[in-house]
Amino acid sequence: MSAPPVLALRGVTKRYRNGTLANAGIDLELRPGEIFGLLGPNGAGKTTLVRQVLGLARPTSGTITLDGVDIVADPGFARRNIGFLPQGTFDLQSLTVAETIEFAARLRGIPPRAARAAAARLIERLDLGPFRGTAMRSASGGVRRLAGFAAAIAAPARLLVLDEPTNDVDPLRRVLLWELISELGRGGATILLVTHNLAEAERVIDRLAIMNAGRIVREGTPAALRSIVTERLRLELAAAGTLTPHPALVPDGAGAYLFDAADLPRVAAWVSRLRELGTVLDFRIGPPTLDDIYAAAMAPAAAGRPGPGLAIEGATA
Amino acid sequence: MTFLRQYRDLVSMELRSMRGEVPIIAAVQIGFMVGFVFGFGYLIPGITESTALYIVTGTATQGVVTMGLVMLPQLLAQSKHEGRLDYYLSMPISREAYLLALVTAVGVMALPGIFFCLAVGAWRYDLALELHPLLPVAILLGVGSLAGVGIAMAVYSRHPQLTNALTQLIIFYVLFFAPVLMPREQLPAALRETARFAPPTYAADAIRATSTDLPGTHLGTSLAIMALFALGSIALSALAIRRRG
Repeated sequence: MSAPPVLALRGVTKRYRNGTLANAGIDLELRPGEIFGLLGPNGAGKTTLVRQVLGLARPTSGTITLDGVDIVADPGFARRNIGFLPQGTFDLQSLTVAETIEFAARLRGIPPRAARAAAARLIERLDLGPFRGTAMRSASGGVRRLAGFAAAIAAPARLLVLDEPTNDVDPLRRVLLWELISELGRGGATILLVTHNLAEAERVIDRLAIMNAGRIVREGTPAALRSIVTERLRLELAAAGTLTPHPALVPDGAGAYLFDAADLPRVAAWVSRLRELGTVLDFRIGPPTLDDIYAAAMAPAAAGRPGPGLAIEGATA
Repeated sequence: MTFLRQYRDLVSMELRSMRGEVPIIAAVQIGFMVGFVFGFGYLIPGITESTALYIVTGTATQGVVTMGLVMLPQLLAQSKHEGRLDYYLSMPISREAYLLALVTAVGVMALPGIFFCLAVGAWRYDLALELHPLLPVAILLGVGSLAGVGIAMAVYSRHPQLTNALTQLIIFYVLFFAPVLMPREQLPAALRETARFAPPTYAADAIRATSTDLPGTHLGTSLAIMALFALGSIALSALAIRRRG
């Protein structure tokens, strides 16, 4: 028998007074130690969902439980047990990076000395040493983001809600951040990760849900979702100059191409020939990424038709 | 975590968080108050001692009003608009402790400017101010009663611009239509009655009672009413931010 979920949403719906439907019939479960990705375009209803989980917005209908406790009825339980990194500005004016982390821990009940120690450890871990004494308002967006992330994890929590943790963070520190998220997951932390950085998040996510127009349109493990992008492959290539793509290739909008698996021999021959000619410097053919799955899930809504040659079938809706 | 420990941590956090702004705020506050004290001297030739005392203590009260009813609500409204308030509200802290800490931090920031204003006023008009040990309490409660109203405005108004507009209106009222810079008796009956419900009336009265020997002040009553205003509006504001949209 599997362990009971840490977070469970059943039929969660939010309709604002002006009639706007922010989300509708959301069913989700986050299992202990799971890193769960929540994806979706702007306005998909992710922020409302996060606010509902944090006890800041009351669903119009449906239930949300954290460790079995109804947090719609008892939002204080959510506040005591959820660490949160908000998406927006994390500017605590003149507080330094170290103070921001320390105070977040103190406000979560950690004694001052232990909070200082936790802040020092996280500063070290996220390579924030040079910015320890920098005021948050003078720090770069990436440093503020990392300080916010450290503040969210500075005290133990049953659930971490991280909203776009990598925004503005430089590539080297992004690696540290993903490592730490992964480590937290392995250590048993349950994490709800809201992100657009699919390429990087893919390495740590156990399961994900894609939201659109207030509903969950796809849910599953990355592998399961990838398998439902039927008979498609992805070609990434580095060209010496501009080239005219093979007619079987469909640009994915991010510099790579997608094509039918049936076209593999023709595409492989084409790209190998170009490599011999020196037009293509390097190439890689592989399965679709989460970005491709996401694009395919969103494309029907955006264009009223299937995505760029992709057909997603059989996913959990 | 106890309320008191939360309050202590939050006050410490707020004061540190605002320390970068203190020099600018103090400079603006002092410039504004000193300008008032000197400006009225040019406007009213042959100023009497009693009028000068009203101007000096009224200007100090105006400093309290500026901090509690202008700066604080604007900061809070901005924080609400940018989603920063949600961050605090997602923490396991008492809403009342958070709001009380904000009020305390702003009150502490107001103290130096107000003492400076009283000192400059005394020098400019050659006044013998009689500072009472309860003056800091009067200032802090004054900020508390006004800041509570300011917080309520910030929490209930939908846009920072609306909060800004409301604060301008209040400043206008305090300057010309409240017994702050002038004795209550000089106001028409309607305004005298209105003033009974306005916290600046009691802040001005308490500051006068603790720094001058002007007759007609009621220190105990003013402090009690300001404490009630502060607690009432903080409780209402806490209710408002506890409400989930």
